[in-house]
Amino acid sequence: MNKQSLLALSPQLLRILALVAVTGLILLFFATQIENYLNGRLFNRISSSVAVMALIATGQTLVILTRNIDLSVGSTVGFTAFAAGSLITLMPDLNPALLVAYAALLGAGFGLVNGLLVAYASVPSIIVTLATMALYRSLLVEFSNAKSITSESLPAWLVDFPNLPVISIGDLQVRAGFLVAVTIVFLAHLALTRLRPARRIFAVGSNPEAAAMAGIDSRRVVLVAFILSGMLAGLAGFMFLARFGNITVVAGLGFELKSIAASVVGGVSINGGSGSVIGAFLGTILVDLIDSSLVRWPIVSEFWREAVLGAMILIAVAVDTLFIRRLDRMRAARAHETALAQQGAKS
Amino acid sequence: MTQPTLALRSVSKSFGMTAALTDMTLELHPGEVHAIVGENGAGKSTMIKIMTGIYQPDTGGVEIDGTPVLLQGSKAARLRGVAAVYQEPMVFPDLDVTENIFISATGSLWLNKSAMRRAAIDLIAKIGMRLDVDRMASGLTLAEQQAVEIARALSQNVRVLIMDEPTASLSAHEAAELRRVARALADQGVAVVYISHRLEEIFQLADRVSVIRDGRHISTRLVTATTPQLMISEMVGRDVGNYFSKMQSTATQDVLLSVRNLGLAGIFEGIAFDLHRGEVFCMAGLIGARRTDVALAIFGITPANAGTIRYKGKHLHAKSPSDAMAAGIAYVCEDRRKLGLAMELPIRWNITLATLSRYLSRLGLVNTQAERHTAADFRKRLNIRTPDAEIPVGKLSGGNQQKVMLSKWLNMNPDLLIVDEPTRGIDIGAKAEVHDLIRQFAAQGGAVLVISSDLPEVLALGDRILVMREGIQMAILDHADASQERIMALATGQEKAA
Amino acid sequence: MKSRLYSWEGLLLVTFLIIFAFNTITQPQFLTVSNQINMFQLSIEKLIVVLVMAFIIINAEIDLSVGSMMGLSACAFGWSFQHGLDPALAIVLCLAIGAAGGALNGFFVAYMGLPSLVVTLATLIGFRGLARVMVEDRGITNFPDWFDAIGQQGFIGPVPFALVCFVIMFAVAWIVLEHSGFGRKTYVIGSNRHVADFAGIHVRRHKLIIFTLAGVVSAFAGLLYAARVGAVRGDVANGFELDIITIVLLGGASIFGGSGTLVGTGLAILIVLNLRNGMSLHNVTGHLQTGVIGILLIASVLGPRLQWPRRLGAARQR
Repeated sequence: MNKQSLLALSPQLLRILALVAVTGLILLFFATQIENYLNGRLFNRISSSVAVMALIATGQTLVILTRNIDLSVGSTVGFTAFAAGSLITLMPDLNPALLVAYAALLGAGFGLVNGLLVAYASVPSIIVTLATMALYRSLLVEFSNAKSITSESLPAWLVDFPNLPVISIGDLQVRAGFLVAVTIVFLAHLALTRLRPARRIFAVGSNPEAAAMAGIDSRRVVLVAFILSGMLAGLAGFMFLARFGNITVVAGLGFELKSIAASVVGGVSINGGSGSVIGAFLGTILVDLIDSSLVRWPIVSEFWREAVLGAMILIAVAVDTLFIRRLDRMRAARAHETALAQQGAKS
Repeated sequence: MTQPTLALRSVSKSFGMTAALTDMTLELHPGEVHAIVGENGAGKSTMIKIMTGIYQPDTGGVEIDGTPVLLQGSKAARLRGVAAVYQEPMVFPDLDVTENIFISATGSLWLNKSAMRRAAIDLIAKIGMRLDVDRMASGLTLAEQQAVEIARALSQNVRVLIMDEPTASLSAHEAAELRRVARALADQGVAVVYISHRLEEIFQLADRVSVIRDGRHISTRLVTATTPQLMISEMVGRDVGNYFSKMQSTATQDVLLSVRNLGLAGIFEGIAFDLHRGEVFCMAGLIGARRTDVALAIFGITPANAGTIRYKGKHLHAKSPSDAMAAGIAYVCEDRRKLGLAMELPIRWNITLATLSRYLSRLGLVNTQAERHTAADFRKRLNIRTPDAEIPVGKLSGGNQQKVMLSKWLNMNPDLLIVDEPTRGIDIGAKAEVHDLIRQFAAQGGAVLVISSDLPEVLALGDRILVMREGIQMAILDHADASQERIMALATGQEKAA
Repeated sequence: MKSRLYSWEGLLLVTFLIIFAFNTITQPQFLTVSNQINMFQLSIEKLIVVLVMAFIIINAEIDLSVGSMMGLSACAFGWSFQHGLDPALAIVLCLAIGAAGGALNGFFVAYMGLPSLVVTLATLIGFRGLARVMVEDRGITNFPDWFDAIGQQGFIGPVPFALVCFVIMFAVAWIVLEHSGFGRKTYVIGSNRHVADFAGIHVRRHKLIIFTLAGVVSAFAGLLYAARVGAVRGDVANGFELDIITIVLLGGASIFGGSGTLVGTGLAILIVLNLRNGMSLHNVTGHLQTGVIGILLIASVLGPRLQWPRRLGAARQR
């Protein structure tokens, strides 16, 4: 690819292409290392575990785009998973749609609290969500009374749902859980790029002052981003419950950092205004792919997983930053040349 | 005359005990360019904020088309057709030009991107700019960003367009373009409010001019019925007599700084001058002439990669500000808020910032007593108006902040003082004080390199004047040979480099 | 001084006194020497790291990796001990690991210009990973008696060694932050790094030093933890970073840098310790305690703005 056509692409698209390329290279690498690696089961395994995290990362991306951060999503996932589990245990005949709505609304309620404090009380989001992360977790502890939800107490449809094969090609299955996640990510992407109000999320994150001057109600935009993040975490809580069945007070612990990591690897700028949910989704997949492949790589102990993940985030962000800086410089140089050429033409 | 599009009726606004506007009345008519002039702190920005709905008046009211309206928030004002364009435009760096123009547009929930793009192209064409609407705003020049903002206002059927010092950071060519756009808008029936410190441009552009002082309306006249002298005396409430007159040179023959063939790839090249002790040496030029980059190279922030700098007879190659400071060079930068002062920190801390090592004991502890002494000393010497030196420097007015910044560097006892736009955004009284300080410093044997875009200032201060244009040194003029017209001719390239 | 009374520190002091008085009245065993010492000793490692976190936050950065570094250091000690390295040498090795890890953070933040939130999120995961690589899923114990004694019976007079360490470190940190040139630069860089740059301060070097220091201090705290508990596992100090950051913010440091005091931080330490201790004595579980601290953190930002006179609200910027 030559310089000119590279410059014509948007940074978003470049990032997505790069992520796809890196994912492909990693697949190829492990295919040479691990016997019987590239098969349907690999896809099934990764798609099942991505189903939960992709939802959280999508919500996290919305919040990061507005120049904020949501550290409470892990606790929200834990609480909604537990609450949904308790509800269905008490009322096994409950309509599934109502159960999903219950989890989503509960999550949205948590997001509302975060959003009100950040947007309308102007408390920095890192402080608010650091506090509500602890608060929601302690609500879970209080609510659960030190009991756990077990998969035996859940109805069969719920436990079977995530692994329900919708499309099967050999031993490769596109399962319901994954399909739901992909659909939501796709809808979120469509909404973010095409809906008029959604573009304000980017505007607020890109330049809050300018947003205020342009008559955009930044507070409402931030509030909505937090509510959506909470709602998606609530949905993720439902998926978590369905996938694992066993829910304890530590459910979802650490998901907040994993979701931030996935977004950042996916090219979402922590300074707001720039990034895409597709990128975050690919970031989620990439992180999970490496995670699950290292477990099966015979050369290193499985305990290297986290160390490699940490190094990977660091490299991804460093490369992305250097690359974007270089791209900006090339663009500026080109604009300069064009300007000179125009001036030359005039005189 | 016709019915005013927008009118302020006896508007007053106070903040705590301070009255920002008192009984202000102003009428803006369709199709006029209405200039507003006043010193800094005269109440211009409060007035803009009331017109654009950011503030609400305490008493009095705003009328649009003769009907009293309540403008709550900038959105309400925009819906009524009132929009503002600022000196530093407000664009979204991560969005492209099209989206920047239509970000606050209302309409269908679903965006029609191709229609938006076409409309953006039309709007940009309407204001006579050449701009690729698919470019991200992060790479646009200031002038291009302003064009985006004007296009945004146009897209919302603007009826009152307020331009707040729009040309302050533009090159002469860009400024002329902008004035052409302003006139074109007025011809289409828009009421244009034009706020500017550049009096000459008001005479070129405006139909009427209003002077405000201390939050009060002083006069509104047809431009043809006033003179610069009259406007200035109304602005300051007194005759400023000799502000523009040249001060006596104190230059010696002793060369302090000698620059030869200095260059930085792609930025500037071939800069050569000698700077003597006792001399005030000015660098004039338009924005984009790369004068600041030459200063940054001497000060070691972005070192040059060609040519030589000799300082006190020795070779100097500063790789960082601390190298330059060790040699006795001080640099008072242009942007107080971003680069010059730590606004939340006390005045005292800011004054001793560049010389902190002098206040440290052998164990590295700060001698607060000595610091207080220094701060009190400068407060008196430079007439910094503040209750005490322990309050955050951000609470001072622009002029006093400028003096704190000068104190910080004067405390270093430098031999060479580089001052970048020393009086930008400060009022005329403080301006004169700063000029006196610069001259005093030179008279005591220091050398001063002043970068200024304010031509009267260049002529008032410069013993010699170096004119730059797009990274090239056009000429060095003796004061006797310099005039505003000559400098402008060189800076715009109409007179070729010698 | 009247202004001092209206300041953020004044409010913290009053809060602390109320909690202290409440605990004293409701729980007879609260005001005993053993409880008071216990209270400090059980969280001494965290408190030491709080001090260095105050520098980081005032410098307008954040370090999420401190808990993982504590774990890495403790595990590295266990690992080297298991592999027959002399324990004294192992201590030096752990401190060196701390310095290297901190410098790694500092390099990426200061010299590559990446946001510290992202860099230290990555090293939070990475350092923890290295700790797990060293000890896998085992626990390592049976350290030499003298090492355990540092954490368990190391008393100087009636005061535990760790507490003495903390008091000395607090005094040093206070002098450095509020009375030295290094501390002054920490504030200025935190307030506006470009201003510091233009005043000839070596901003990058300063940030590198602060992050390296954070690494070393965290490694030291990890060793203290290993000595006190007498065993290490892969999850030593897991999640401590959030507690540590909470205390610093409660102490009045602005998350945007440039403001905060060590006196405030010290008072926040006392408040959190006494609150947790009091709740424990009232049989409130740990998770719930963390929830209460969370509420306190939000209230600490909101409270002054909503209820108190403007003047007090201004005492805390953001």
